Amino acid sequence: MDPSNKNPAPGLSWEPKIVMFCCNWCSYAGADGAGIGRFQQSPSMRIIRVMCSSRVDPVHVFNAFLEGADAVLITGCHLGDCHYINGNEKTLVKFKFMQMLLKELGLEEERLQLNWISASEGEKFASVVNEATEKIRKLGPSPLKPEGVI
Amino acid sequence: MPERPEPKAKAGVIKVGAKLIGWATDAKLREKGASGGLVTALLAAALKKGLVDKVLTLKKISEFEAVPVLTSEVEEVLQSGGSMHSVPVNLARYLPEGIGEQRIALPAKPCDARAVIERAKRNAVDLEKTFLIGLNCGGSIHPETTRKMLKTVYRLDPEEISGEEIVKGKLIFFTKDGKEHAISIDELEEKGLGRRENCRYCSVKIPINADLACGNWGVTGAFAGQGTFVEVRTEKGAKLLRNALEAGFAKVEPAEEKGIRVREKINRIMLKLSEKNRQEIFSPIEAKQGPERLKYFQKALENCIHCGACKAVCPVCTCGEDSKCTSYTSREDSYKISLFHLVRFLHLSDSCLGCGQCEDVCPAEIPLTRLYQCFATPVREAFDYMPGMSAQTPPYFALKLEKECGCQHHGLEKAGLEESSCAKEPEREGKREGQRQGQGGCC
Repeated sequence: MDPSNKNPAPGLSWEPKIVMFCCNWCSYAGADGAGIGRFQQSPSMRIIRVMCSSRVDPVHVFNAFLEGADAVLITGCHLGDCHYINGNEKTLVKFKFMQMLLKELGLEEERLQLNWISASEGEKFASVVNEATEKIRKLGPSPLKPEGVI
Repeated sequence: MPERPEPKAKAGVIKVGAKLIGWATDAKLREKGASGGLVTALLAAALKKGLVDKVLTLKKISEFEAVPVLTSEVEEVLQSGGSMHSVPVNLARYLPEGIGEQRIALPAKPCDARAVIERAKRNAVDLEKTFLIGLNCGGSIHPETTRKMLKTVYRLDPEEISGEEIVKGKLIFFTKDGKEHAISIDELEEKGLGRRENCRYCSVKIPINADLACGNWGVTGAFAGQGTFVEVRTEKGAKLLRNALEAGFAKVEPAEEKGIRVREKINRIMLKLSEKNRQEIFSPIEAKQGPERLKYFQKALENCIHCGACKAVCPVCTCGEDSKCTSYTSREDSYKISLFHLVRFLHLSDSCLGCGQCEDVCPAEIPLTRLYQCFATPVREAFDYMPGMSAQTPPYFALKLEKECGCQHHGLEKAGLEESSCAKEPEREGKREGQRQGQGGCC
């Protein structure tokens, strides 16, 4: 897409673009499960696989927003089920701080979400994706989106 | 100088919690140092008797300029005495990097002491080997502002100034011809001069987090202006004071009841004023919500030239040269808001002391301390955590890896992230145990 094109052709109008971080052991397998189970899901997600949700650094989240993501979803194993003992608990601490920062900055709370999705929860994965997309569609494009990026 | 009564107090009165009036025995030191020169005497005695290896202090160049020096020369410490409200430097940043063998003593404003404690939490300072001599602080003034005030309000030549002091809410300048020029600070601040903005809303005036809390508040009777009120806060502080007494550098006398009350009263008044100023400065920002709020931050940061000076002077930043905020930021980025500042906002949200160093050095005159405080205040309220006031772990690192009560969520609960989950613990523990065994079997 040409970044200088501020008036895209019809049909190329804004659709939510959501960056989703999935942990290798649960959520990514959950995404697989959602595909195998043929659950309908919105095509708004850009999935990035990480070994553990705690690998997601605030820098990754900020960069996603600054590059034009409308929302960032972080997903990991349920608390207590982390492959690395307590990685997701560290994610929770980081998430809380990032959420407070984005709120102070004036961004809507829904733009950063944390979900626990296990490998067997393909259906939950699909519904999280759909719900998030709907919410973001209502909120509109992120105010941090660079000019000319859809 | 009036004759002093021979102190009745012996080293025995020096214990944690004691409130005393102290002064330097050397008359020259009393004259040079402010309020009896006790702090200079303490530092010199600690160095002379080998209680510390080095002293970190400010070396005066002129009335408005001083450089931090790390010295082991007693003579140099004696030279450093005197009040310096126009040198708002945070000494914590100048402590040697890393945990070394050296024992260091330094005079510390409340924000210096808080910075040293925050650095200790990040393993950049060994608190056991650092002696903090706290100084009461009602605020400091940017040297540029001082010069401006002298020219426009006091109508004095900055080069003619021989000293300054803040007494009873008045900023007094002494000129070389021996005259005093006093103007009330409130009056100066109405004109946008006076103390730095962050000092106006600072909420720590007496350094109760340091080893000793010294100052001229509460010095009454015969000692007024000639002694230093000192409160012993820790065993380390008691050691410092005992050392100076034994070395014959200083003398102490128990403080009068009246003095203790006066000191508390001054502190209360100052804090109340700070709270009022905080409201005044932050309520317009708090009123902004959503996109308007984002615009405020974008507008405030739009002049940033990414020089990195704010990070270089930040006393709580222990990241070093290669850090997340700088490594991922490029000058070519044309983002809506700088990634550098986003990372800084996050890093400082549980550690910003509001010391104002960033604002002082910013070449683009961005009100950085105010911005950082916007993010730090909600965290401070949500977690009931005041950075630098105690050894409490910063909430960002509050998660404990070891289990304290057999409950893995202990750390999260403590950090206020999760409702108590102890009740459902046995089940979860059982599940994990089973999982582990299962894993063991299949490998």
